[in-house]
Amino acid sequence: MTETRPPMLFTRRRFLLAASLLTAALATGLRPAAAQVQGAEPFVKSFASQLVGIVNSPQSEAAKQAALGPVIDQNVDVPAIARFCLGRFWSQATPAQQQEYVALFHKVLLRNITGHLGEYRGVTYQVTGTRNQGGEELVGTTIDRPQQQPIDVEWVVSGQSGAPKVVDVIAEGTSLRLTQRQDYASYLSRHSFNIDTLIAALRRQLART
Amino acid sequence: MRAPHILRPALCLGFGLATLAACATKPPASDPEALQEYQQTNDPLEPTNRFFYRVNNTLDAYLLKPAAQAYVFVLPIPVRNGVHNFLSNLSSPVLLADDVTQGKPRRAGDTFMRFMINSTAGVVGLFDVAKEVGYPGHDSNFGVTLALWGVPEGPFLYLPFLGPSSPRAFTGFAVDTAADPFNYVPHGYGLLTLNWARFGLGTLDTRSRYLGDIEKVKATALDPYATFRSLYRQNTQSQIEKVRDDNRATTPDWYQ
Repeated sequence: MTETRPPMLFTRRRFLLAASLLTAALATGLRPAAAQVQGAEPFVKSFASQLVGIVNSPQSEAAKQAALGPVIDQNVDVPAIARFCLGRFWSQATPAQQQEYVALFHKVLLRNITGHLGEYRGVTYQVTGTRNQGGEELVGTTIDRPQQQPIDVEWVVSGQSGAPKVVDVIAEGTSLRLTQRQDYASYLSRHSFNIDTLIAALRRQLART
Repeated sequence: MRAPHILRPALCLGFGLATLAACATKPPASDPEALQEYQQTNDPLEPTNRFFYRVNNTLDAYLLKPAAQAYVFVLPIPVRNGVHNFLSNLSSPVLLADDVTQGKPRRAGDTFMRFMINSTAGVVGLFDVAKEVGYPGHDSNFGVTLALWGVPEGPFLYLPFLGPSSPRAFTGFAVDTAADPFNYVPHGYGLLTLNWARFGLGTLDTRSRYLGDIEKVKATALDPYATFRSLYRQNTQSQIEKVRDDNRATTPDWYQ
């Protein structure tokens, strides 16, 4: 009996160790993003500071737009947002359609962001707190603009792409990606669910000055 | 969050007859994703709603928007802010009733103090002095109250003149209008003129505040109607959550 006890303990301990390792592995395997979004708040602070720095700088509108492009590409997971916005139609699209759509979406998004720079002169922001929702971190900020009511903006940060990146912006409770997804879904439902019509519409949108 | 099954065809029929428009066709059960989308959108009266969206848009393009642009062009920001503060102050009694029916004593207290301070120190509400002394303003309506009472939103409605709504929001609007003491001013008083001025200025004030935002949506959306529908729903939801989550203690800070 005395000879069997230490091995018993050993196996039990090993079992416990294996079990905890397995649980940890399962947990990380199920939610690979969770562990990597740890630095969501400093990430949003750095991104927002870069944005505010460019917007408030004394350079010309064109120079600001040129400077914003790389900052957005570096901090925003545009392909993930594009995929989300296409919703259930993403899997129905051919790889060629997907590729063309993401490229167009990227251009449209950049244009929509940089097109309204003038309205944000003199902007300041404050981080108000962070909460977790479905494996994504929501970093809350309050944005102040001169002569205007302050607005609450939440930055949704995901680590899905390997590094923390913004995947949605929620302004006063309205989600950018959800609104866009419902816009596209409605457009597709009125154009016989043909993804090529959506691609053509995005192209027309870009052609407009 | 939908109207009961028996109600839906009746609603469709009523509106359909009234406008000679049809109801949106429900996708078959064999396409679960499309069906789910249809249920999430919850817009069975879409063709009728789109008709009124076009009507309102035309009215807006020729009347309201130019008027709002002129309003912004003629009056400087401090004057427009004064008008806005004055109008907000006038709706304080209704707001107070909404805060109370929502069971939010701190919000009701804010509204009460704001009305007292701004009506006196704020010169009949022209200046928002209360904000500076710790009583920030908020917005609410009886639709939010109904939501907190558990009344479902019902299908999306786009109403003539009023714009995006729902049976719940419209009921709330009707209750707020009926509860407004300024709507019971006896005839023959100068206050009746004030009521019309209030209605006109209120419309201009609201429209002028959304001049940029509405244009932005129209310029960037592929289907502006669907985008406004989505924004309206999300905004309503966030307004409800904001009130629901405001659980500040009733004991004031200075007492503790």
